[in-house]
Amino acid sequence: MSRLWLRDLVVGYESGTVLRGVSLDVPHGALVAIVGPSGCGKTTLLRTIAGLMRARSGEIRLNLRMVTTHGIHLAPEKRRIGWVPQDAALFPHLTVAENIAFGLGGGRRAARRAAREDRVAHLLELVGLSALADRTPAQLSGGQAQRVALARALAAKPEVVLLDEPFGALDPLLRGELRAEVRALLTAEGTTGILVTHDQAEALSIADYVAVMNDGEILQFGRPEEVYERPATPWVASFVGDSVFLPAVWHAGTVEGGLGSLSAEWMPASGALSEAMPEDGTSVTVLVRPEQIELAPGDAGSGFWATVTAVSYTGHDALLELLLGNGVRCTSRVPASGLLPVGARVTATVRGPVLAYPLAPE
Amino acid sequence: MRAPRFLTTAGITILALGLTSCAGASPAEDAAAESTGSDGELTLYAGRDEALIAPLIEKFTDDTGIEVIARYGSSSELNALLLEEGDNTPAQVFLSQDAGALGSLSNAGLVAKIPEQLAELIPAGFTSEDDSWIGITGRARVIAYDGEKLSEEEVPDAVDDLIAPEWNGRVGFAPGNASMQSFVTAYRVLEGEEAADAWVQGISENSPVLTESNGATLDLVNSGQLDIGLINHYYWFEDAAEVGADGMRAQLKFLPGDAGGMVNVTGAAILSSAAEDPDALEFLEYLVSEAGQRYFVENTFEYPLLPGVDAPEGLPKLESLVNADLDLSNLASLEQTQELLAKYGLL
Amino acid sequence: MSEQVATRSAAATTATAGRRPAPRLLLALALIACAVASIPLVYLVVRAGSGGLDAAITVLFRPRVPQLLLNTVTLATAVTGTCVLIGVPTAFLLARARLPLRRLWAVLAALPLAVPSYLAAYGWLATAPALHGFWASWLVLTLVSVPYVTLPVAAALRAGTTGLDDVARTLGRGPWRAFWLGTWPQIRPATLAGALLVCLYVLSEFGAVSLFRFPVLTTAIQQAYGASFNRSYAAILATVLVLLAILVVLGEQAARGRAARRFGSVAGMARQRVIRLKNWTAPAIALLAVVPALAVGLPVAVLFARLLEAETLRALDVADLGQATLNTLALSAGGALIALLLALPIGVLAARYRGRLVRAVESIGYLALGLPGIVVGLSLVFFSLSVLPGLYQTALVLAFAYGVLFMPKAIGAIRSSTAQVPTSLEDVSRTLGYGKLQTWWLVTARLARPGIAAGGLLVAVTAMKELPATLLLRPTGTDTLAIELWARTDVSAYGAAAPYAATLILVAAVPAFLLSGAGRGRLDGVRT
Repeated sequence: MSRLWLRDLVVGYESGTVLRGVSLDVPHGALVAIVGPSGCGKTTLLRTIAGLMRARSGEIRLNLRMVTTHGIHLAPEKRRIGWVPQDAALFPHLTVAENIAFGLGGGRRAARRAAREDRVAHLLELVGLSALADRTPAQLSGGQAQRVALARALAAKPEVVLLDEPFGALDPLLRGELRAEVRALLTAEGTTGILVTHDQAEALSIADYVAVMNDGEILQFGRPEEVYERPATPWVASFVGDSVFLPAVWHAGTVEGGLGSLSAEWMPASGALSEAMPEDGTSVTVLVRPEQIELAPGDAGSGFWATVTAVSYTGHDALLELLLGNGVRCTSRVPASGLLPVGARVTATVRGPVLAYPLAPE
Repeated sequence: MRAPRFLTTAGITILALGLTSCAGASPAEDAAAESTGSDGELTLYAGRDEALIAPLIEKFTDDTGIEVIARYGSSSELNALLLEEGDNTPAQVFLSQDAGALGSLSNAGLVAKIPEQLAELIPAGFTSEDDSWIGITGRARVIAYDGEKLSEEEVPDAVDDLIAPEWNGRVGFAPGNASMQSFVTAYRVLEGEEAADAWVQGISENSPVLTESNGATLDLVNSGQLDIGLINHYYWFEDAAEVGADGMRAQLKFLPGDAGGMVNVTGAAILSSAAEDPDALEFLEYLVSEAGQRYFVENTFEYPLLPGVDAPEGLPKLESLVNADLDLSNLASLEQTQELLAKYGLL
Repeated sequence: MSEQVATRSAAATTATAGRRPAPRLLLALALIACAVASIPLVYLVVRAGSGGLDAAITVLFRPRVPQLLLNTVTLATAVTGTCVLIGVPTAFLLARARLPLRRLWAVLAALPLAVPSYLAAYGWLATAPALHGFWASWLVLTLVSVPYVTLPVAAALRAGTTGLDDVARTLGRGPWRAFWLGTWPQIRPATLAGALLVCLYVLSEFGAVSLFRFPVLTTAIQQAYGASFNRSYAAILATVLVLLAILVVLGEQAARGRAARRFGSVAGMARQRVIRLKNWTAPAIALLAVVPALAVGLPVAVLFARLLEAETLRALDVADLGQATLNTLALSAGGALIALLLALPIGVLAARYRGRLVRAVESIGYLALGLPGIVVGLSLVFFSLSVLPGLYQTALVLAFAYGVLFMPKAIGAIRSSTAQVPTSLEDVSRTLGYGKLQTWWLVTARLARPGIAAGGLLVAVTAMKELPATLLLRPTGTDTLAIELWARTDVSAYGAAAPYAATLILVAAVPAFLLSGAGRGRLDGVRT
């Protein structure tokens, strides 16, 4: 049974439509990352789920409760949802403990009383901030503030927690650390989570499921490896990871192109009437992930010889720009140990099957 | 829910405030008490200074036992207030600084007729023609002059002289003031429209100093900034009462026989809602009684209007000052005066 | 790259927040407040219309009317301009410069608020009797109005950042240019809001201009009541004033609309450099000292000279003075409360939502400030007698009048302090189970409290000095300090007025002191 269920959600402002029919099933206890470029509508989607915005049409069910449907809009305070905004949005007039207790109801005075209760102490411990219970938000670092925001959202044991780019303003190290903590916390509390991010690496690393959004629509929903390995469209492919696209011709399960003849899987356009294989000789676009292109120094017989034209070094690995002998350009990801200088001659081979997509309509 | 509780608290606070700090009796009740018999209480709107009127009211209460709830303000503001209140006014008597305000109430049908035997006490010319109000005191228009710069002989005997080039920039007055406008009206009645037009034009072209009030005009003369001011006589006496007559730089010159020396009257009216109220009538009777009239003579240096009561010492006789056959509360005539003043940019 | 994206999406959220339709309850409350604020306008239309169109045309074409209009506009423009020219540098020094006795200067800068214009004018007249006309009116009105600019601008500067100036400096701009590029956009809305209050105040001012014999529309309106007993003439002139006020309000809105929308995200990382004045310390202190000395010091000195005269002290009725003081406090507090209740929905609406209706509601809320007190007073006589005759001439109606008259002073403070509360806090509170009203009360109002309180104090301090509406609406027999003062100056008994004037200034100095921010030690501590 899914915890959160969206059907054909359409949301817009006076100036235009932001969400054009979004549907989504989020399983119980899962963490779903909604990823997409800025302006794609992902924050609007989150706000609509929270009830902070009204949908024009469509339905939202939380657990089994219908919270949004034709003309019905359950107020956000009645949805039992946790909300962690990008800027943490801690109440500056309350201490850390009071902030967390605020979600337990009754306003400030009650928050002050409740601040000493077990639930708050437990949450403080979970986020590792027991020592800072009496600090004011102004005295916290960015990471600490986000932890408090998360603890506050979890305090009342909501059914779903919505996180709107919670790590956006943090430095990379803290980000990675916090990501893992959030994951662990949600699991520990057994809470379903929806996380909005524009960082695909974050989405892939933290989430049970990833929803890729663009222009108000969800293009693909699936497990991170599915989305990365079998992206529904070339756009999704390039959004979730580095991609090499090459023109090729379909030939019964193989494609002929700049990288020779490769075994390929057919990826029909979403919504296409037939999933039938294309006819032989059809022009297709082939997706090769850079890590599929393996390099060997010098001329190593089989494969294509190429020259390294640029190196982008990231520490654990490196992206090499290659110019093939036949004039095709592509990118290869190699472990840092296999780093080659610009100008080096290499032999490139493609490992594993590649994906073939229909050509984008002109 | 905290917010509504806050609102409720606020509401209660306001209400409490309204009830506790309302010192006077509820005026609505006064108005509601349609009184044919005496209820021992009277609501008065007094368009004259509290310091001058309050002691008189005290005496009245001592003598008659009638409590007076007095609301003080300037005559013009109280007049505007009465017009706005209309028949709903809590006021029973209006004591006004000038006749025009009383006339405007009469025009609006808001005043009751003064009983004949009372109205007859005050000579014609100093009270209303139709008994809609009664004259209480008189105040002469005078010239206040700078006693250090001018001698009494140098000061003109008539306002006509003030339009001479000699007085260019040296004469001040308050064109918006009711007494000043009454004087212009008197000029029109006494000398004719053409002459009045010429005089207003002449004075407007003689660089007059325009002020907001008689008091401000006198202050200018008293501080040596203005040589001649056209004011009411008693302002000088009020100032002299504070600083002593010797301390007054300004001196007065009365203008017997000239329009510029005419006499304005203050008066009182009974509001129509109190038409039959014996307390209101008793108050008016008191104002024009010998005791009341003498109070004004001694304290405000105004002319008594009741025949037989002597004018304050040092003032020319009331009879020597012109009062043209002039209804001071005639607003139609007042409007023509204002148009005349406006025509030459004085209003 | 990710930084850039983050800021852009945040900006998008803020921009879209403005397009949400306003909640119905808030809109309804704002419309009610708006209706209350337009009581004087409706009244004017009724009265001005009663004379007929011909009468209106005759009045408007009197030879003196263009002169009055010109005088009014010139005075309002000159005073507003001068207040900005003095107020902005003053605020800058108070907020950013290292000064000896910082708190003292902050208090002194707010103190002119405590001095009624007529008292300041009187103080000057007693010192230099020859003063009159435009320049005298300009001087005194500027002196007493500067705090309306200084206070909000200083608050904006304290909440702002010098980071943008620094960026401008690194981009090769000189300090003045850097101020213009970095700081001015942050304080521009506050400056405009202050200038609006000053301008509307000068339009409606009567006390100082009449003492200085400078003929403007308000003095002509007073004359129309005073000598002509011509209510429609007065109403027509007052309508001209309203039209001027509308122009001013619309002008401010247009200017504000072009100003940078929101610096909230920048303010979050408020970094402030304190400026060392070194050789400029003396001139800076001279600037800070001159306005309070001339606006407060001089009239108070004159008053004390009068106060010490034996005659005055003998005549003083202490019980009377005490009662008047209590009445003044109670009435101005009630007025401030009502003004806040009326201004809250309008201010919150203006802070959180946009659109033509919102702009219209806000504009109408401001108009009463441009009207002379006598017009607002009469309109409420008219209103309370026809709607609530039972409450006529009670303290409630007078406090209500203060509320209507001075609610604009609270609108700006509420609007800007509400706008500074991030909407994300409200979102969080909603998802944590609190309804709209609860959220407003527990989060928004709580955080905007300093601004809301400042609005209330500003109303209270103004209401204490109010005279014309008080004269018309007070319960019969209830005197305030301003009334006692008026009763005594009217008979030229300035000496007897001195104790009341001194008490009025003293009492009004309390909210002025609080407004200076000197009482908010805790907040200052956090900031530095």
